[in-house]
Amino acid sequence: MIEQLKRELEATFKGVSVTSEADRRITVVVDPLQTIALLRFFKDRGFSHLALLSAVDLIDKHAFELVYILTSYAEDTGEDAVPGELILVVKSMIPRDKPTFKSVINIYPNAEPYEREIHELFGIHFDGHRRLTPLFLERQYPIPPFRKDFDTRRYVEDVFGSIPAIGDEEG
Amino acid sequence: MNGTSGNKTSGSSRELELYFGPQHLGMVGNFSITLKVEGDRILEARANPGFLHRGFEKLMEYRTWIQNFPMVCRINVIESGSMEMIYSMAVESLAQIEVPERAHYVRSIYLELCRVSSHLFGLWAYSNMLGFDTVAQWAMYHRDLILDLLEELTGGRVYNIFIWPGGVRRDFPKGFEDRIVETLHTIGSCVPDYNTAFFDNRIFYERSKGIGRITQQEAKELGATGQTLRATGLKFDIRKVAPYAAYDKVEWDVPVREDGDAYSRILVIRDEMIESVHMIFKLLEAMPQGPVYNRIPNPFKWKIPPGDTYVRCESSRGELGLYLVSDGGERPYRVHFRTPSYTNGLILLEKLLQGASIADVGNIMISLYVVAPEIDR
Repeated sequence: MIEQLKRELEATFKGVSVTSEADRRITVVVDPLQTIALLRFFKDRGFSHLALLSAVDLIDKHAFELVYILTSYAEDTGEDAVPGELILVVKSMIPRDKPTFKSVINIYPNAEPYEREIHELFGIHFDGHRRLTPLFLERQYPIPPFRKDFDTRRYVEDVFGSIPAIGDEEG
Repeated sequence: MNGTSGNKTSGSSRELELYFGPQHLGMVGNFSITLKVEGDRILEARANPGFLHRGFEKLMEYRTWIQNFPMVCRINVIESGSMEMIYSMAVESLAQIEVPERAHYVRSIYLELCRVSSHLFGLWAYSNMLGFDTVAQWAMYHRDLILDLLEELTGGRVYNIFIWPGGVRRDFPKGFEDRIVETLHTIGSCVPDYNTAFFDNRIFYERSKGIGRITQQEAKELGATGQTLRATGLKFDIRKVAPYAAYDKVEWDVPVREDGDAYSRILVIRDEMIESVHMIFKLLEAMPQGPVYNRIPNPFKWKIPPGDTYVRCESSRGELGLYLVSDGGERPYRVHFRTPSYTNGLILLEKLLQGASIADVGNIMISLYVVAPEIDR
């Protein structure tokens, strides 16, 4: 199954890199221009469950990595069926200074809150998402708080004042 | 004032916005919904999470691999066992740590105890919401008996931090197996009472049948897992699909129902509890002797090789996943939890509330088994 999927992918998409891990996990790294087509391909192929949409701030590489984790509901038993234990990790990097990507709501409707969350915490904009309103936070931050250059300790000290070390306080 | 001129709302003038906040009895803890209603009927629902957003995933980037355990537990307040499990699984996967055979069994037994206690809490919430106070008190009492067991085993009643990378923190104390069996028999002997008073009760049936109904197709489309999905007839359980711990070592079955409504979801929870108890008995019988812990390196200087992993397990609410990234340092580089309540509380809830009556908001919400801290993290 893994080998067949690998061949099919390399024939259909240019420049994808496919690696498989021992614990039944396949990682596919793809150019952002092809991500949407790739996700559609996987959905048609039986990976009907978007388990998680995540973002990683790769500050040293000046990029954000979007991570789509796909699995199947394992209800088919035919020959082409995707085994339930298979986990597919699709990764694409987008530039950090232009953090915009296409929404995948029309492929996986449950991506809606994930995209909202990533928009709020990482400042990545998703085109085609109708409701990028704040999800968790109640105030605006100078830098989206889950980015690596947001220092939580400094933020707390700036906003709430520094806490004196034990023995330093007056009285 | 003339009510029609300058009115920008699209619906009728009888439309109202109703805030269904955390102070409401039918609400599952710190969570709120903004409802647009016309009379008694809900036109649109908007879930507002964030009351419990503590930024754990960011804070975990500042703490060492082991220091993160107290935060991991607090993501699901009701059932911390599966949170410890998922974090340990991810760390073990990244650092290539093996777990001894006996530890797998101890983990499974512990996780099933946590599942039963969590389901009893869920039963308390649901029966209490419907006005079955007696049944709610029974469920709370029986949950407490399991918390006593957990206290003896781990020292904690709610946050246990028992599962650890490389195994579990300690083996069962002397005679603990007998006390598990005794406690589960005490709870099990009350199942007929629960059935008479609640599950076979006409009022429960009338009040939950057809409420918050969802088809299997819709559930899959919206990413549902756990009871919500199993109540629509699909046998999907991570413990079967991708077995971990000792779940592939004994025979057990995944309970399902066909109708996809609140009634089916609550009955799936009941059947799961019974199945878990049987599973614990089988695990206790099959459990081998041996060590329960493989030593990990010094936690203060522990560096984990760079890489990323996604692991998943079946918590009491559905698929729990963790995407964990290491850059080769002493701390995680990125942590992201996939919690079952996230999908249930933000997507399914909004969908199921459309067209429902105001009186059913709590009913739908509790039957979806949403736990608010899991959404916010």
